[in-house]
Amino acid sequence: MTEEKKPEEKKKRKTATEAAGKIGPMVKAALAENLRAKEEGKPIAYSFIYSGYDEIIRAMDIVPAWTENYAGICGVKRDAQRFLERAEGENFSRSLCTYALCGLGFDSWREELGEMPPDPPWGGQARPTVMLGSGQVICDPRYKWYQAAQHYMPDVPVYVGGLPYPPYEEDYDYREVQDYYVKYIVEELRGLVEFLEKHTNRKMDWERLSQVVDISDRTWNMISEAYDLRKAVPCPMGTGDAMNTMVPMTFMMGTQEGLDFFKDLYDELKRKIANREGIIPDEKYRLLWGGGLPSWFALTDFNYFNSKGAVFPAEVTYRLVEPVYNLDLPRVSDPLEHLAWRWVRYWTYRHDRARKRPGSTPDVERLIEYIEDYKIDGVVMHEAFSCRSWHPGLIWQLNQLKRVYRDIPSLVLESDIVDISSYNEADTRARIDAFIDTLEAVKSR
Amino acid sequence: MPEEVAGGLAAADKYYRDYGSRARELKKGGAKIIGYLCAFTPVEIITAAGLVPFRIKGDVNEPITKADTEMETIVCPLVRSCFDVSLKGKYEFLDGIVIPHACDSISRTYDVWKYTLNLPYSHFIDMPHGTGEPSLDFYKSLLGTFRTSLGKFTGREISDQDLKEAVGLYNQNRAKVRELYQLRKASPPLISGAEVTKLLVAAVSLPVAEATRLIDSVIKEVKQRQAAPAKTARIMVVGAEVDDIAFLDLIEDSGAWVVADDLCPGAREFFADVAVTANPVDGIAERYLRKIKCGRTFREKEGSYDDYLEERFGHIGRFIKEFKVDGVVLYIYKYCDPYGFDVPAMKSYIESAGAPVLYLEDEYSMSTIGRLRTRIQAFLELIAK
Repeated sequence: MTEEKKPEEKKKRKTATEAAGKIGPMVKAALAENLRAKEEGKPIAYSFIYSGYDEIIRAMDIVPAWTENYAGICGVKRDAQRFLERAEGENFSRSLCTYALCGLGFDSWREELGEMPPDPPWGGQARPTVMLGSGQVICDPRYKWYQAAQHYMPDVPVYVGGLPYPPYEEDYDYREVQDYYVKYIVEELRGLVEFLEKHTNRKMDWERLSQVVDISDRTWNMISEAYDLRKAVPCPMGTGDAMNTMVPMTFMMGTQEGLDFFKDLYDELKRKIANREGIIPDEKYRLLWGGGLPSWFALTDFNYFNSKGAVFPAEVTYRLVEPVYNLDLPRVSDPLEHLAWRWVRYWTYRHDRARKRPGSTPDVERLIEYIEDYKIDGVVMHEAFSCRSWHPGLIWQLNQLKRVYRDIPSLVLESDIVDISSYNEADTRARIDAFIDTLEAVKSR
Repeated sequence: MPEEVAGGLAAADKYYRDYGSRARELKKGGAKIIGYLCAFTPVEIITAAGLVPFRIKGDVNEPITKADTEMETIVCPLVRSCFDVSLKGKYEFLDGIVIPHACDSISRTYDVWKYTLNLPYSHFIDMPHGTGEPSLDFYKSLLGTFRTSLGKFTGREISDQDLKEAVGLYNQNRAKVRELYQLRKASPPLISGAEVTKLLVAAVSLPVAEATRLIDSVIKEVKQRQAAPAKTARIMVVGAEVDDIAFLDLIEDSGAWVVADDLCPGAREFFADVAVTANPVDGIAERYLRKIKCGRTFREKEGSYDDYLEERFGHIGRFIKEFKVDGVVLYIYKYCDPYGFDVPAMKSYIESAGAPVLYLEDEYSMSTIGRLRTRIQAFLELIAK
C-alpha cells in the first residue's frame, strides 16, 4: 500500500554559508504559517515562483503557498513517491512534471480524506482559496497543473495571466515589439488584482504595492551584488548553497525579510572573502551549473564535487534577477507597469550582446558571460526527465557554446527533480569522477 | 498543379507515402516552402505572402538517432521524430520554419530548430494561452509582427486583399473536410479512419487549393463505394497530433471503425473557419486563439465545474452523439503536457457522456504502437458485451 511506505530521509547537507543553513527552518516556518493562516481564515493562493505576481500577492496580504516548493520538500525528505504513485493512479502520466504530479497526488488525497494525508512532510499543504497559474514561455504546467487540480477542488477558482517576453529574432529588435508586450502584461496583472479582489475579499492598496515593488527592486539589486561576490577566488559560496538561497529569492520577493536575508548574505560573503575563506580549502576547479533544476533529493552531490576539489561559483538556474539599475527601465508611476517593464527588460537583457556574436543567443551569451566573469573551467548541466521548461535546449546550448565560443569540458547529468526512482547515486558519482579526470587532464595540458 | 492531385485516394496515398514530394516539385519550379509545426501556425498568412506552408511530419518507422545529438530525449517523441527526419534531409527543400507557442516541446526547442536547420527564414509566434480580450489583442499584435516579418523575407508587403483571399481558400478547404466527415456518419462509414488521416496528412503537405481539390476528389470517389463491411464498434480517437495511420490501422484491423476524432490533422484542426472580418487579421486571431479546442489553450471557468468541462470538452460529447460513437480512445504521447494533464478530467467527462474510455500512452514508434494491440482488442471486447 502506498500509504504505508516509509520515506528514507537523507542526512542534512553541509552548507558553506550560514545563510544557506538558515533556509530549512525558514521553509518550515513558512509552511507552518500557511497552516496557521488557514486556521485563521486568511486567503491562501497556490502560486508558482517567478510568475511576476509576488508583489501583488504581498501587497494584498494574501498568503502564498508555493506548490513547487512543497513538492521539492517532499523530494528532499525522500517522501514524494507515495504522492507520485497516487497521481499515476489518477491517470496522470509519470512523464509529466513531477512537481505537479506530487502536488496533484497530495491534493487529490487530501480532498478524498477531507484532511491531510497521513504523516505529511512538514505538516502538509493547506487547501487554497485561489490558484494562480501563468501563461508564459516557461512551462506548460504553469497553466495545466492548477486546471488539473481543479478536478479535485472544483470550487477553487484559477487565474492564468499571460506573462510573455519578446523572443530573440534576427529580423527584428525587441524594442520594436516591447510596447505591446508591456501593455498586455499590465492588463493581465490588473486582471489578477481584480480576480483576487473578487475571490479573497481583499482590496489592493496601491500605495502599499508601490512600497512592495520598491523592496523587490532593492532585493534584485542586493541579490545581484551578493552573487557577484562569488567571483572571488577562492569562492565563498557555491551552487549547492544557491539552491537553498533560492528560497528567499523566489518565495519571499517583496518582503523585508527577503531583502534582509540577502543583506546578511552579502555581509557574510564579504567577511569570508576578507578572510580568504572558500567553500573548500584547496579549490582546484571552478564549475558553472549551466542549466537544469537540481535533483532535490541529491543535493549532496554538490558536496561530492567539493570533495574532489570542484566548486560552483555560478549557476544559471534560479539566477532570476539582474541589477535593476542596469535594465534601463523607463520611469513610470504605475507599479504594475514598472513590473511589466522589469519583466520584459530582464528577459531581453542579453539580446544586444547576442546580436554581436553570429550564431549566439541570449542563453548562450549568459553562459559565456558567467564563464568569463567567474573564471570557469567546466560546465555541468542536469537534464530532469519530467521537466520540459528549463531542460529542452540545454544540449544544444552546450553545443552552440562550443561552436561560437570555445571548447570547454562539460557534463550533463540525468535524473529528475522529485522522482528518486530516476536516480542512481553510484552511476552519478562515477560520471562526476570521470568529469573531474577530464578537468584535470585539461588543466595539466 | 498536376492532374493526379485531384486523383482521389490513390493520389492521397501517393502524397502520404512520398511525403513532401509535391513541395519538392514546387521548389524546383521556384516556389518558396515554409515548414511549420502544429495546427496553431496561421497558415493563411504564409499563403497570403505567396509562400507554400508545409506541415513537418515525423516518421514512426524511422528510429530517432540524429536528433539526440541536439535535442533532449525528454521532448515529445513526435517533435523529436519531426526534428530527426528534418536533420536527415527529408525536407531539404525548406526555405524557412515557423514555430508557434503551442507546447513546451515545440516552443522550448525553437532555437534548436532555428540554428540547427539554419534556414533562410525562421519565426516564433509567441501565442498566449489565455483567451480573454487582452490576450486576443496581444495575439493580433503578434500576427502583425509575423506579417511584417514575412513581408521582409519575400520583399513584398502582405496586403489585406492577399489575406482575404487566403482566408477564403482555407475556409473552402475546411468546408470540404467537414463534408468529408459527413461520410463517416453512415453505418458502416463510407471511409475508414486511416483513410481520413492519410488524406488529411497528405493535404497539409500541399498548397491549400490543391489540397481542397484532392479532398473533393476523395469525397466523389468514396460516395461511389459499395457499403463497407460491418464491424463491432464505432470508435473515436482523441489526442494531440497523429500524423501516421499505424495506430488507426491497428484499431480498424482489430474489428472496429474509427468514425470520429479530435486530432490534428483532423476535426480539431479543420472544423473551425476564419470569420470574414473587415480586418482579416481579426478573424484569423479569433480562430486560432478561441475556436480551436486544444489542451494548450486555457479557458477560464465560468459557472459550475460541469459547465467548465462542457466548455472544454463539449465538442467531444457532440461528436460522440453525432457520429454514434461506441467508445473513445485517448491516445496521448509520453511527455505531452497539454494533453497529459487533461486525462482525468477528459476521461470523466466522456464517461459521463455515456462512452467507455481507453486511455493509452504511446511513444510515437512502430515498436510501441504494436504493443497496444492487446489492450485495444480487450477494449473492443468490453464494448461488444
